[in-house]
Amino acid sequence: MSDVLLEVDAIHTFIGQFHILEGVSLKVRAGSITALLGRNGAGKTTTLRSIMGLNPPRSGSIRLAGEPINGRPAYEIAQLGVGYVPEHRAIFRDLTVEENLRLAERKRGDLAKRSDFIMALFPDLKRFYRHPGGKLSGGQQQMLAIARALVADNRLLLIDEPSEGLAPIIVEQIVAALRQMAAETTILLVEQNFAMAAQLADEYYILDDGRSVQHGRMADLVHDHATIDKYLGAG
Amino acid sequence: MIEWIQRRRGLIAGIVAAILFAVWASSQYEPRVLASILLSGLTLGALYFLVTSGLSLIFGLMDVLNFAHGTLFMIGAYIGFTLYANPRLLLNTLPFVLAFVAGWLLARWLPFSSLPAGHRRPLWVVAVLVGVFAVWGFELAPLATTALSSGGRVPTEQAQAPVGIFIARTLGLAITGLIAGAAFVIGSEHARRPANRDLAWPLGLLALALIIAPLRLSAEGWILALDSNTRFLLALVAGAGGGAALGGLMEWSLIRPLYSRPIYQVLVTLGLVFVGTELVKGIWGPGGYFMELPAWFSRRGPSCPSPNLIAWLQDNCASIDVLGRPFPSYRIFIIALGIAMFIGIAVLLRYTRLGMIIRAGVQDGEMVQALGINVRRVFTLVFALGAGLAALGGVAAAPFLGISPGLGQEFQLQAFIAVVIGGMGSFTGAAMGALLVGLARAFGDQMVLTGIQLPWMSEAMTFSPSIARASTVLIMALVLLLRPAGLFGKKE
Repeated sequence: MSDVLLEVDAIHTFIGQFHILEGVSLKVRAGSITALLGRNGAGKTTTLRSIMGLNPPRSGSIRLAGEPINGRPAYEIAQLGVGYVPEHRAIFRDLTVEENLRLAERKRGDLAKRSDFIMALFPDLKRFYRHPGGKLSGGQQQMLAIARALVADNRLLLIDEPSEGLAPIIVEQIVAALRQMAAETTILLVEQNFAMAAQLADEYYILDDGRSVQHGRMADLVHDHATIDKYLGAG
Repeated sequence: MIEWIQRRRGLIAGIVAAILFAVWASSQYEPRVLASILLSGLTLGALYFLVTSGLSLIFGLMDVLNFAHGTLFMIGAYIGFTLYANPRLLLNTLPFVLAFVAGWLLARWLPFSSLPAGHRRPLWVVAVLVGVFAVWGFELAPLATTALSSGGRVPTEQAQAPVGIFIARTLGLAITGLIAGAAFVIGSEHARRPANRDLAWPLGLLALALIIAPLRLSAEGWILALDSNTRFLLALVAGAGGGAALGGLMEWSLIRPLYSRPIYQVLVTLGLVFVGTELVKGIWGPGGYFMELPAWFSRRGPSCPSPNLIAWLQDNCASIDVLGRPFPSYRIFIIALGIAMFIGIAVLLRYTRLGMIIRAGVQDGEMVQALGINVRRVFTLVFALGAGLAALGGVAAAPFLGISPGLGQEFQLQAFIAVVIGGMGSFTGAAMGALLVGLARAFGDQMVLTGIQLPWMSEAMTFSPSIARASTVLIMALVLLLRPAGLFGKKE
């Protein structure tokens, strides 16, 4: 269980002329849930986008199971087995739930193979299978966005703020689903809701001002109020 | 109920406006005049649709405003006409294109990708030199010239290059393609991914080029000996195919490097309008051509006009009787072509995986990428599809409007107006916009002809011909005032 699946080493990423990531390094172990924590604007979303190839880093390296992937186009990185659940879900509003899922197939039959698992995790999706994604509630859209990353055989899931703007009862459902998924895959999770991250994650990394400043076991962080106040406290 | 009305007020306003207009129009014109105005409007609408559909798909998916779309329409008309009336030009250039592509593909198969990156620039220079040497002194314009005869346009007696020299040129272009392909492959992603190293394609294309080369003269005779209907269908296919190939090439070579600089893209497509127009003038001459109607749409005789569409299937009259007034049967064909393409694209968008990717890409191209789909390849495909549709429209318009280097410009402008009316990026909007603009033009033309007489007027009010053209702009202004994103556009 201690194999490193994803290794990010000192990446620097620019958006336009802004230097957003100024040296982020992290390791995600296969089969774990790793939480990426930090205040708004610390660079968490950009880190995920850099890994995904959507904002390629200008320097530093990213390795997936030892193979360098930085500089490759996003679709190739996805094909290597990286699933992405972006901030604000980014589901296709005019496509039906079924089409949203079908689009994520990388091989014919992917969806048929994983359909039962997905529908057991998110029964709502089955009910609205032929409805356009835009007609779903926020929570259902989040479930669809997560389900979309489960259709293909992904080794690593990058999940950005799954609890954002959702009612506590929906968040609980999503926590339960993520916990079930973790048995089969590896997750790098960005989450503002510390209570949720603490429930789920095995390990954590804290970003501050575009740098990774601290990491360790989640179980230790929960009691480390000084660190929580310093890096995660509101304000 | 009230809420329902509020939500659909746009639709309701549209229906009310349409009914009011219909009532006014039916009081103003006799039914048979009205019918032919409507059919004329549909004809224009169908042609506009072939331009707007591609324009709108391309804008929706890749945010590219393709100013050269009308130019592709015009080039499609020229390619189709050339095949129809004088295939010599095509037969004498097709082997060159095939040989170049064959060489280019062959370069992927050979181990060029391991050459050092420093070889890249010198190789390009060599490729250009060899290419220029291969085609030096080869003139296109004489091959394109035709003479007027009783049967329409025929190729003039123009000596073609002897087979030996022609084949030497063909092989020269194959070598050019090979060198250029090698320069392209060096240090590119193909070095990393040895995909598609299939020899069948390059060798097959080269063989085809070498087979056509000695057969150029007789092939020309064979094509011209075909009946006009077959040639017309071939012209539609060749025009659309040629346009699609040009469009794909254009996206791949000029548009793709500029996705991060959208203003440059607009300028490039605008520049292509001038380059394309001048190239066409250089090859086919600045004057216009008239393309004859194929036999299906040109019979005249005692039984004509055909009493109805079914009778036309047998007698192929040039016009069909619509409520006692003859209407050209070719225009009915254009309407049918427009409807067929509308259905075809709608089915493609709705029921195929490619269509699903396009619809998703219009909303969020980045997310489509993140699902493992190579969006760039889809861009090229959609650009080619849109260009092919425009070129098909050009061929269809050729017998109806004539062919000239300026053919595309009027369509470009009106098509932009139609796309804006319908809503940028919406396929239904593109179709509705085209239809509205077509009808507006047809009614405008009629008003110019007969003027308008409202009940309180003692004599008809007359208009200048520019009103017909301005009417579409007026509609656009009105639509934009009420719905800034266009009729079917998403709110921005």
